[in-house]
Amino acid sequence: MKKIPVTVLTGFLGSGKTTLLNRILTENHGKRIAVIENEFGEIGIDQALVIDADEEVFEMNNGCICCTVRGDLIRILGSLMKRKDKFDHVLVETTGMADPSPVAQTFFVDDDMKNLFALDAIVTLVDAKHVHLHLDDSNECREQIAFADVLVLNKTDLVSPAEVDAIERRVRSMNGVARVLRSVAADVPIADVLDVGGFDLDRAVATKPTFLDPEYPFEWAGTFELEEGIYDLSLGDGPDEVMDVVILPLPSGAAAHDRAPADRALRLWAHEAGRVQPGADLAPSEVGPSALDVAAKGPKSFRLRIPAAGRYGLYTEHLPVEYGLALLRGGAAVAPIASEEVTAGHTHDEDVTSVGIHLEGAIDGERLNRWLGALLREKGADIFRMKGILDIHGSDKRFVFQGVHMLFDGREDRPWGAEPRASDLVFIGKNLDRAELTRGFERCRA
Amino acid sequence: MPGVTGEAARAKTELRARFRLATGAYVSALDVARDGSLGVVGLGDGRALGFDLRTGEELLSVNAHDGAVLGVSIAPDGQRFATSGQDPAAKIWARGGALERELPGGGGWVERVAWAPAGGRVATAAGKRVRLWTADGAPIVETEPLASTVTALAWRRDGAVLAAACYGGVHLLPVGAGDETRHLAWKGSLISLAWSPDARVVACGSQDASVHFWRLASGMDSQMTGYPFKPKALAWDADSKLLATSGDAVVTVWDFRGKGPEGSRPLRLEGHKGLCTCLAFSPRKGVLASGAEDTSVLLWEPRRGERPIRFAFLEDEVTALGWHPEHHTLVGADAAGTVCGWEIG
Repeated sequence: MKKIPVTVLTGFLGSGKTTLLNRILTENHGKRIAVIENEFGEIGIDQALVIDADEEVFEMNNGCICCTVRGDLIRILGSLMKRKDKFDHVLVETTGMADPSPVAQTFFVDDDMKNLFALDAIVTLVDAKHVHLHLDDSNECREQIAFADVLVLNKTDLVSPAEVDAIERRVRSMNGVARVLRSVAADVPIADVLDVGGFDLDRAVATKPTFLDPEYPFEWAGTFELEEGIYDLSLGDGPDEVMDVVILPLPSGAAAHDRAPADRALRLWAHEAGRVQPGADLAPSEVGPSALDVAAKGPKSFRLRIPAAGRYGLYTEHLPVEYGLALLRGGAAVAPIASEEVTAGHTHDEDVTSVGIHLEGAIDGERLNRWLGALLREKGADIFRMKGILDIHGSDKRFVFQGVHMLFDGREDRPWGAEPRASDLVFIGKNLDRAELTRGFERCRA
Repeated sequence: MPGVTGEAARAKTELRARFRLATGAYVSALDVARDGSLGVVGLGDGRALGFDLRTGEELLSVNAHDGAVLGVSIAPDGQRFATSGQDPAAKIWARGGALERELPGGGGWVERVAWAPAGGRVATAAGKRVRLWTADGAPIVETEPLASTVTALAWRRDGAVLAAACYGGVHLLPVGAGDETRHLAWKGSLISLAWSPDARVVACGSQDASVHFWRLASGMDSQMTGYPFKPKALAWDADSKLLATSGDAVVTVWDFRGKGPEGSRPLRLEGHKGLCTCLAFSPRKGVLASGAEDTSVLLWEPRRGERPIRFAFLEDEVTALGWHPEHHTLVGADAAGTVCGWEIG
């Protein structure tokens, strides 16, 4: 039996939840929708079944905050399944200040709910005019944004386009996976909020090239055409006593700041850096970053041995100008053919962020289980959501899963077929350590 | 017969059906009159049907509620019955099907209705409140809101005290003046409730897959864990010695004789291939009927052994079981709308 999709509507008071709900209910979409509301609305629509419910958040007896559920939903939805006139979609509207986790967890924790329903998406409405008031002082507001699969920036007519852009940048820096829509009177296409398949990462990847711009641990990426032989990497004095660099061979035509090589550098960054003293040898490496010891005053030089002519990327922890960094060949400076400063993608220092990890090569299912198990035990309260499409060793099918706090649910998906096999894992949460998560995931390689 | 397997056939004899009705809608509630003269089912399409327990002959049919019927309770004299459902009022009906009275619930669904076994009272639960009514449907009292929505009601056999379960424990609400209300506190979401016939023990199934019970005389409570699923069905035998519990394909029976059941090993009744959904002890002879998601109905004599003695199958998940007071008929119903009466030897 096909599971009935559930859409959860969250958002602060005044963000436009009821307006969106009314739009969904009056639109001619041919669905019979059961709506679970927290306050008695004045909605009387024939095709919908509107049920008033008190939000009853229950802690499961193990006392773990991550296992709170909505008891009212379990009871009401279980009871609705007995009706003759079955429904094909459920909408749950939460109160303005609600923490979205109990409602989401309900569909993971309770056996009946798990068997009958599937969480389709958490849709969070954001009041473009007032959200900045809440973002800084309300955990609930940040969590509603972090939990969202779809973020609707509503009431954009009340602020300038530049302000909307700023809000969008800010919410994206917190939740890099959600689809962001803009609206005036919650006038978003219904197809963008219902049956969106909240954990369909495919769509996110396909429709959004900037999908999860990672926060890179390097500030500069330079592209060089180099000959075989010895170069000197020369540095003056700078802000730190150590500077990490990665040097990678690039495919011809590629630039160091292109997404694929930059991501390779990012993954290398997750490994232990090898300390290099001035005068010592450096080489392009696929092992990890090199930590250049630049503690000594005055000019310092490192011998870079290039094994074969070609294109190389140099990634530096700090900007080259901060150290007066130069690449020399026989005393003459070699200029990069391209370079890019990699700035942090946001101005606010959010405690809520997203971390996306892309990994090629199959994953060992058991190692992954052990790692995720330990990670969630330790950090489950801080990890709000987790989504992934995984290439599991020994399986021809994609493995897709999503989680809420410590709970997760995965299943085999369609066969990989001709699609390139790879794993994508996304975390949204508080105080996430990108390097540690990346390292952990990499260790799960088969 | 669908789903007959070698495994289930370990019970040697299949029950013989006296009648089999196809109501066409999920059977969500069932009650049997104490004099055996009437059975009433509540259906997912809002109807309530009354039938003769021996022949299955339809005695009445009413459109009781807008949504699904959620509760059916027959008065002890069998002359009236009450229904509740997915609309804001419970209803009292004459045996023939005439509406006698509406019992308003205050806005939300009236999820539970329970006719007192004695004393001429009806209790309803809607949201966090419990309401008491006379047998004629006149309001007597309405409680303050309890800690959360009431999930189950059970009367003490003498009809003097009503138990209401919700998150955080069980409230014992006395009907007469003089008695104090009592709260059996427990931090958890209680989803089912059964009061032993001798009035000594209140047992509850909990959302977190355990059974909790209280001995009322001492106030001592115990928790039985280890269930893979939440125990939605509970049943006491007529002697108040055995408590049968669901929460698994295996039916777990706790024995309250002697010092038990704390520290004892329960009886494990293995036979269903799916989660047990319904339990009912016969008022006589200690025979237990159990129904499951896999459509099977099994009979057991837990005091004699752990193997089923009879079997039968319905068409869909078993949703209700009820015994004729004289033990000669068992009624079972399912999610597809089947109502079946089996002859018990």
